[in-house]
Amino acid sequence: MNISPDPWVWLAAFLTLCIFSFLYRDNVLYRFAEHLFVGVSAGYLVALTWHNQIYPNLIVPLFVEGNLFYIIPLAFALCYFARFVPRFNHMIRLPIAFLLGWGSGVAIPAFFQRDILRQTQGTLLVRDAFTRWDSGLWAVVILVGVVSTLIYFFFSRERKGIIKPTANLGVIFIMLGFGASFGYTVMARISLLIGRLQFLLGDWLGIIR
Amino acid sequence: MNFLESLTKIPRRIIFLTIAIAVAVPLIIPIGIPVNVMPQSKKLFDAVDGLTSDSKPVLISCDFDPQSLPELYPMLLAVMRQCFSRNVKVILMALWPQGTGMVEMGLEELSQEFTKEYGVDYVFLGYKFGVAAVVLGMGENISGVFPVDYYGTPLDSLQLMKPVRNYKDISLIVTLSTGDPGWRQWLLYAQSRYGARLGVGVTAVSAADVYPYVETGQVTGLLAGMKGASEYETLVQRKGYAEGIFRASQGMDAQSLGHLLIMIFIILGNVGYFYTRRKR
Repeated sequence: MNISPDPWVWLAAFLTLCIFSFLYRDNVLYRFAEHLFVGVSAGYLVALTWHNQIYPNLIVPLFVEGNLFYIIPLAFALCYFARFVPRFNHMIRLPIAFLLGWGSGVAIPAFFQRDILRQTQGTLLVRDAFTRWDSGLWAVVILVGVVSTLIYFFFSRERKGIIKPTANLGVIFIMLGFGASFGYTVMARISLLIGRLQFLLGDWLGIIR
Repeated sequence: MNFLESLTKIPRRIIFLTIAIAVAVPLIIPIGIPVNVMPQSKKLFDAVDGLTSDSKPVLISCDFDPQSLPELYPMLLAVMRQCFSRNVKVILMALWPQGTGMVEMGLEELSQEFTKEYGVDYVFLGYKFGVAAVVLGMGENISGVFPVDYYGTPLDSLQLMKPVRNYKDISLIVTLSTGDPGWRQWLLYAQSRYGARLGVGVTAVSAADVYPYVETGQVTGLLAGMKGASEYETLVQRKGYAEGIFRASQGMDAQSLGHLLIMIFIILGNVGYFYTRRKR
């Protein structure tokens, strides 16, 4: 056992135990750690916004370098505060419209390429997929899974005839997807616990290397 | 209430305590459950392993914060160990402000194992606000987005960055991502728009979302959570790039026992549920 002499490690260990104490029940130590975290995060965000966004991207070019072009983004940014003045309330639409327009223009073609074209290509059965029996089998499973899941979400026709069993098959694929996601979520949560225990047992108490 | 009925009402504190014990004990007394390397992890390893000192640099983006440290930080160390061992040049950056701290911590840890020169073997660009604008801008001109590195040195004065203009001069992008912004933006803009080669390391929660893109080849390899990190560590060890105990591999015994216990609790809960329902 090789306990850490570092006071910051002790502080981190104390705060970790404070948070873990919630597992027993809500208490003052947990609330202290929680409020401390919220306060520090808020302070960090304010400092970060100033130092990483406002100061280098607006203050320096406009007021230090004298680039008057930056008055335009400043005016757009100030429009956000128009919300607090009922008479100029409508001006908030300007920066929102700009952001929506720019964001949509940039994202839509890329989304189409990433999620529609390439994913559709990946679902198609091509000759290359059957060069090996296992990849061919998985290609068929993927095709059946995609089609049956899409049919499950097809609400324009009554579920009878061939649509009913196909949609039911789609439910099985959806459930398998949920199961995989849940399994991964459990793994992630256990990983977080392992990380904290590695810190407590290793960095703090020195029981493990 | 008999035994089978009581299975649906196990006090949560008992569950917490048993899971804590199941996770803590293997950390103190390792069992040594072997790590089985999945194809998608091997794919990313092979992609990096195919690079040499003459290759274009690898860009590693640390898009995570301390909350995801147990899963993603071992990936960062393992990928960097592999790159440094093979003398592959590395460019580091972050889409998350806290990611810069992770990079600095990693560089400090690896400085004890490797003697690498800053500006020649690796460069740290730091964090830049803007996500889409950053990733898109880097596709045109990296130094336009990052005129200076994390330490304030002009990018043009760094030897490593002189031949690097945009993604065409990067052999592989590896994003270690805990959510948004992260792998989705790299895939959306760097891969889909500029055709950059992209490897992804994610927390286990996000892993299921990445698989479709691995299948289509849009993503070159995937490291999924602590398991993915331990697989990469195993591959790095097998190749002799590093030795010793690695954090993700150390945690896998605990991970396996934790899962086993949760499965037992799920089965017990279901047995109790069906018994109670039948009795009704």
